[in-house]
Amino acid sequence: MSTLERRYRHLLRAYPMDYRHDRGDEIVGTYLDLADPRRRWPSVADAADLVRGGLRQRLRAAGANDLAPGVRLAALLALTTAAFLAGFWALVEQYPPPAEAGVPVFGPFTSTGIVAWLAWLVVAVLVLVAPGRATRVAVAGAVLATVAVLLVSPVAGLPRPPLLVLVPQVALGVLALAVDSHLPLPARALPIVAAVGGYVFGHAYYWDAYRWSAEQVLPATGMVLLGVGVLLAVGLAMRRDWRGGWAVVVLLTPIGLLSVHILAGAVDGLGGAPRPTYPTLVGAALTVGLLGPAVLPAAVALRRRLGGSPSAPCPTCGTRR
Amino acid sequence: MDTPLREPTFLILTALAREPMHGYAIIGEVAALSDGRLSLRPGTLYGALDRLTDAGLVELDREETVDGRLRRYYRLSPTGDATLAAETERLRRNVEAATARLRARSVQPLAPRTAGGLA
Repeated sequence: MSTLERRYRHLLRAYPMDYRHDRGDEIVGTYLDLADPRRRWPSVADAADLVRGGLRQRLRAAGANDLAPGVRLAALLALTTAAFLAGFWALVEQYPPPAEAGVPVFGPFTSTGIVAWLAWLVVAVLVLVAPGRATRVAVAGAVLATVAVLLVSPVAGLPRPPLLVLVPQVALGVLALAVDSHLPLPARALPIVAAVGGYVFGHAYYWDAYRWSAEQVLPATGMVLLGVGVLLAVGLAMRRDWRGGWAVVVLLTPIGLLSVHILAGAVDGLGGAPRPTYPTLVGAALTVGLLGPAVLPAAVALRRRLGGSPSAPCPTCGTRR
Repeated sequence: MDTPLREPTFLILTALAREPMHGYAIIGEVAALSDGRLSLRPGTLYGALDRLTDAGLVELDREETVDGRLRRYYRLSPTGDATLAAETERLRRNVEAATARLRARSVQPLAPRTAGGLA
């Protein structure tokens, strides 16, 4: 066995064991047929292809073929929500406290948050006019800008939006990275419509500083996102399409982070304390951040247990596992 | 299998329309059919073949070992044959409609529209 073949077989561990046993020789043989004989290491693209294929096969073995489309649906909803919030916060940024209040500001804006919100507004435009790689790069840039605002502002002594605002935006952004490259025009228009809607919504009502606005707007946005997700899940399930269910499962983490103020309030005082303490807020956010992603593998395992058939033959070679 | 077919799926079925093929040959044939635009990698190809097999469009034809490497040959099933024929017909009609429109436009240049209609 050559060094290259051994390395391909090492990467093949991304696949389930029984599938490796059935198809491993065939898959590795094809990689070797395609590879330059002088090559000693699999290319990065081949490694990514193997890992992606292995993950896809594990989902297929668990009967969760529709998880990937579900994640893409969740990504569009997350991107739309992130754009709505960016439009809303961009308005809040335009009304800094008066100078006599002595509150630090960032130039003509309330805080450094304006950098992140502008990056998100660029994403909302790009997904409409340049879907695909350009949009994903812009989403990654917006996520990094949001994280930079979160981390760099305190070091530079500049005011930033509260964690309550920035953390759910990062969670929505990470999910939005999975947005589909081949969306129809109406779907591509959703983020920019939501961003304009957020800005208009902010204008239509009186909104104060970040903290008070966040406590009102974020849980409501989370509830709307959950409602839309559930409605989509029910509507699609009526056509035996389970994407919506997976989308709701994936969206639970950002929805929980949007509602962290309510969750922390429920912990501090049954029924929801009006002002949960800072440690309770951080604790609630950490709990959501850890438990939320754990729901997905649990749901996949449950799907496998309910729908899996351990004695099913390999669909291609017919071998019984 | 949802229709219309995605381009890689359509080209894999088209590759298999001529004769049964193994994975390496399918990758080469898809690249040739797409004028080199589409370069399938094995992980992607075998995932697609699994889905096509699940959908009943592709079947296992035979197995061979060449230079110590296992090769499985795949062929279009009757359902796959019918699906490819239907999809090709749909695309052909679209191409004909678009070609007719474009030809008509090149023969009869677009006249500027008059605002307000007839007086």
